[in-house]
Amino acid sequence: MKKNPGRSVSRRRLLAMIGLSAGSAAMYQAMHSLGYAGETTFTGPLQLSRAPKGASVLVLGAGIAGLVAAYELRNAGYRVQVLEYNDRPGGRNWTLRGGDRYTEMGGATQECRFDPGLYINPGPWRLPYHHRGMLSYCKRLGVALEPFVQINHNAYVHSRKAFGGKPQRLRAVKADYHGHIAELLAKATQSHSLDADVTAEDQAKLLDSLRFWGALDGNSRYVKGGNSSDRRGYDRDPGGGLSARPQYSEPVGLSDTLSSGLWAALPFGEIYDLQTTLFQPVGGMDRVSHAFGRELGQSIKYNAKVVHIHQDEHGVRATYENKSQEGAVQTAQADWCVCTIPLSILGQIPMNVGEPMANAIAAVPYYTSIKVGLQFKRRFWEEDEQIYGGITYTDLPIGQISYPSSGFFGSGKGVLLGAYIWQELDSMQFTAMSPEERVAKAVEYGSQIHAQYREEFDNGIAVAWHRAPSAMGCFGVWTEATRAQHYDNLCGFDGRIVLAGEHASYMSAWQEGAVTSALDAIDRLHRRAVAAGAAA
Amino acid sequence: MNAHTPHAAAARRRQAAGALWLGSVLTFLASTPVRADMGIFNPPTLSTTDGRQIYEQICQGCHMPGGVGAAAAGHYPALAKDAALGSRQYMALTILAGRRNMPAFGAKHAFAFNLPPVTLSEAQIAAVINYIRTHFGNRYTDPITVAEVAALDRSAP
Repeated sequence: MKKNPGRSVSRRRLLAMIGLSAGSAAMYQAMHSLGYAGETTFTGPLQLSRAPKGASVLVLGAGIAGLVAAYELRNAGYRVQVLEYNDRPGGRNWTLRGGDRYTEMGGATQECRFDPGLYINPGPWRLPYHHRGMLSYCKRLGVALEPFVQINHNAYVHSRKAFGGKPQRLRAVKADYHGHIAELLAKATQSHSLDADVTAEDQAKLLDSLRFWGALDGNSRYVKGGNSSDRRGYDRDPGGGLSARPQYSEPVGLSDTLSSGLWAALPFGEIYDLQTTLFQPVGGMDRVSHAFGRELGQSIKYNAKVVHIHQDEHGVRATYENKSQEGAVQTAQADWCVCTIPLSILGQIPMNVGEPMANAIAAVPYYTSIKVGLQFKRRFWEEDEQIYGGITYTDLPIGQISYPSSGFFGSGKGVLLGAYIWQELDSMQFTAMSPEERVAKAVEYGSQIHAQYREEFDNGIAVAWHRAPSAMGCFGVWTEATRAQHYDNLCGFDGRIVLAGEHASYMSAWQEGAVTSALDAIDRLHRRAVAAGAAA
Repeated sequence: MNAHTPHAAAARRRQAAGALWLGSVLTFLASTPVRADMGIFNPPTLSTTDGRQIYEQICQGCHMPGGVGAAAAGHYPALAKDAALGSRQYMALTILAGRRNMPAFGAKHAFAFNLPPVTLSEAQIAAVINYIRTHFGNRYTDPITVAEVAALDRSAP
C-alpha cells in the first residue's frame, strides 16, 4: 500500500466528523455489548476423513456446541455419546411456549400461558446473515428461517430524562441528529475551518454529500420543510385529492437533540452483528436444537448431571447422576471428550486437567441478563402505533421492548419481548427478584412507553440467566487481558479433553461462536485420533 | 497461580484504562465518570449504603433470599451458617476481587462486557458483610470497618 500519511490523516479526521462524533463513536462501541463484530471463521461444512475404527467420543452438554460436535463426529464414524443436564437439547438455544413449565434455581416455577403459536426465545434470538455456520446447519437440517426485524424507524427511543419521558420515533431522532451534524459540518466547511484538511475540490463534494445525507435545504440548513420531513416524518402525511397537502414537522433543535441522549441508541443497527439481514427460525429458536436432537436420537442421554470428569492415558470417564432417579450414579467413557459445559458450572466439577486449563476455567465470570415475555390481549403496537417488528430502546431498567417479527396483522393475542436487560446493575436487580416481581416490573416500566399495557396485559414469564439451572449465567466475559493470559489454554487440548462453546470463542454470547469453536475443536480431535489410531 | 496474580490485576487495570481493542469505548467510559444523563446508559452503582438493601438487590440474585444458596448443574454457596464467614477479611476479599463465576465488585478488580462493571464502594462492601454476618443464622460480633475494607483493597494484588 502506498504511504501517504498527510492524506490519510485528513481522511480519517473527516470520517470521524462526518460519521460519528467522539461521544457517539464511543457509544457505538459500547453497544457492542451484544457481541463482538468478528466475522465467522466458518467456511463450509466440515469434511472429516473416516474415524479410526472403534474410536469413541464423549460430548458433555447438548447445547449448540455439543450438538454440532456430536453430529459431525457421528457422521465421520465415531461412536458418540452426549450427556445433557436438561430434559431437552439446546442449552441456551431455547424457546418458551404455552404449556411449558420452567423451574429456576431457588425453586420458583413458572408456567408459560401464551396462546398457541406464540413464544419467546429466552436466549439467542437472531441470526446475522454472516453467521454462516448457524445458517448452514439450519439449511442442512431443514429449519425454516424468516427475517428478524432489528431496525424499525417507527419504533421508539426513550429516556426518562428526555422530552418529559415521551418516547420518540427512531426516525425523527436519527434525522435530527444527522441533520444537525451535517449542518454544522457544512458551516465549518463554508467558514474555511477545514481548509487545512480538505482540498477545495473535495470541499465541494463534501458539501453536496452533507446536503444529501443530512436532508439540508438549499442553504445547507437543517430546517422544517420537505427535505427534513421526508426523513423525520410529517405532521400530516402527503395524501391524494383535496387532502393531499402534507404538513411538515418541526425538527428538534440541536441542543435538545444532544441533551436528550437518545443518539446513544442510533448505532445499534450499524453494528456488524446486528446489520440487516438477520433471521430467526420460524416458530422459535429451539427448532435448531430439536432438529439436531432428532438427528442424534438415542446418542443423547438427558437428565444427566455430570459430577466428575476423569482422564488417563486410555480415555475419559464422566460420572453423572440421573436427575430423575435420586442418587443413581452412572459413568460414561470414551477415548476422547469434548466438554461444552459452561465455565460457570465446569469450574465446580472436579476434573483432572493441568493448571493452565484449570486457571483459564476459573478466570471467566458470566454476564447477567434477563428476558421477560409478555402476552397482550391484542397487538396494540401494530394496531395503534404501526410498529411491525423491531426494537424500542429505553433507559428504563427493561432496556428494550422487542416487537414480534412474525404473525403481523394477527387478530388474536400477541407476545412482546417486554424486557431484554443488558445493563448489568439493572440485570442484577431483576435477577434478585422473584419471577412474578420481574414480570410486574416489566409491565410497570413498559407502560411508560406504551400506555396500552395497563388495559391489555394478559400474562408473562421471566428468565434470569444467573438462575438458569444449566447455565448459571448468560455468557462468559472475557477481557483483552484475560484472553491474553488464558484463552489459548482454555481452547487447547489437555490430554484427551478439549473444551468448546461460546466461551471458547471470540464471538462471546453468539451461537456462531459455539459452532465455530466446536468445529475447530473436533477438527483437532480428529487429527489426534487419526494419529493415535495410526500409532496403535 | 490464580486469576488475581499481580500480573493479571495489572493487566486488567491497564485494560480498564483503555487498552482494549474497544479502545475508544473504554477510554471514554473509564476516563469519564458515567453521568446519569449520558444517553440511555445508567450509572452502574447503587446509591444505598444499607447492607440489607445491597444484599436484596444484588447478592440474593445468586445466593438467594435468606442466604440459603441453590443447587442445579452447579451450585451457589449458602451464606446461612457458613463457617467461612468467620473471616470477615475473606468475605471482603471475595467481594472485592471476585471468585470464579462470582464477579468482582471492587473498582480495582471489576470488569464487565464493554460497559462499566457494577462496583460497590468500600462502605457498601463493609455494610453488606456486616449484614450477612449478623443474619441468616449468623451471629458474628466482630463487624468489619470501612477502613479495614480499604486496607484489604490496597493490599489485594
